[in-house]
Amino acid sequence: MSQMINLRVWLKIPDAEAATVKNTLARRLGYGNVLNDVKKERLFSIEVDCGDAEELAKSFAKELVNENKESCKVSIDELRFEEGYVPVKVALKIEDGEAISTRERLRSRLGFTNVVDVKKATIWKLYLCGMDPELRAKKIAEELLINPHKDTYEILGTDRAEN
Amino acid sequence: MKIAVMQFPGTNCEYETLVAVKAVGMDGEIFRWNRSEGELSGFDGYFIPGGFSYQDRIRAGVIASKEPVMQALKEEAAKGKPVVGICNGFQILVESGLLPGTGRIDMALAQNVMVSQGKIVRRGYYCDWVNLRHDAPSKRCSGSFIMERGSLLKIPIAHGEGNLVTTTPKLIEQLNDQEQVVFRYCDKNGRVINEFPVNVNGSTQSIAGICNPDGNVLGMMPHPERSFFAWQLPSFDPRKHRPDAAGPGRRVFESVKRYIEVSA
Repeated sequence: MSQMINLRVWLKIPDAEAATVKNTLARRLGYGNVLNDVKKERLFSIEVDCGDAEELAKSFAKELVNENKESCKVSIDELRFEEGYVPVKVALKIEDGEAISTRERLRSRLGFTNVVDVKKATIWKLYLCGMDPELRAKKIAEELLINPHKDTYEILGTDRAEN
Repeated sequence: MKIAVMQFPGTNCEYETLVAVKAVGMDGEIFRWNRSEGELSGFDGYFIPGGFSYQDRIRAGVIASKEPVMQALKEEAAKGKPVVGICNGFQILVESGLLPGTGRIDMALAQNVMVSQGKIVRRGYYCDWVNLRHDAPSKRCSGSFIMERGSLLKIPIAHGEGNLVTTTPKLIEQLNDQEQVVFRYCDKNGRVINEFPVNVNGSTQSIAGICNPDGNVLGMMPHPERSFFAWQLPSFDPRKHRPDAAGPGRRVFESVKRYIEVSA
């Protein structure tokens, strides 16, 4: 039976890209009054067809996370987010070459033959206040975070199961 | 005849572009993104050079496209003034809706995917000399105003996101029908072969450059300012050894000059 290992990775040093997104939303797109902060995570969703998922997750983290500048969190099968922000998952709808390279690196170069697939996404954590933050997050995704001709997005719920 | 060469944080081809502008007899200056946007109206034409504006954060060109100066540039483009976006400049024009010119974001310049014989042979950033075929008629577009249909140019590319994709129904058909496809990647004989290495980035129908319906706004991935002088050509090109000769990229800049002269 296959299992999905979700590896959430974020910078523990300042994230300049998230800061630029916050500045652009506040100063150029009119969200200054409702946006408290923006943070970003990379998400690796690694499907394996056998093995101890907890142990495999530790091994994958060793390969994919640079502990000098990054932190990570693992969840097996379900993807849960904390309350306080709206998580927006952005992924490529065209072929994701980086995800394929990561899969091949794990499977062929590092010998994790139980890796079936790897998907990558960016999670934008939008700390919004005011009415209907999910609707605002949707607008923000469409105005800035994605180009619909190559990206898809999904507003994820907080503290609930995904996958 | 005064040209603004736009500079955003991370632009890195503005000085070469300005040299090329001046070398064909136009006046020009570098226009920083944080100058008063009202000053833009004092120029007759605009180049958005290549580079990595805002470090390509989120995706190439999108942060620059939200700057107030781009709204002012849209207003100047609506007056028919020429705007040429090169590489990152093309990406900015797409993200701002100036290209293909519907005002909406109707396409993307996505990550390069090099395909040969049905297989992906390479992905990502790529630098090389490419051949371009001018596919629009003469005078259709500001940046290729003096070029005949079918003429060939050898120009370098250097980008990671130049793969033109769209989900807009019939957009490519419309671009072809309205002769908005200005440049396509081709081989040295002008044959378009829709796979790597001739199609260097997987772009739909080997498209390397397009213009808006009015023809005054051009976006192209290759860098004409890097083949402006013959001495910039690669060592295997015999023209390189004629240092005073013009390089193929010069015709883009001469076109803009001629377009402004004719439009005046």
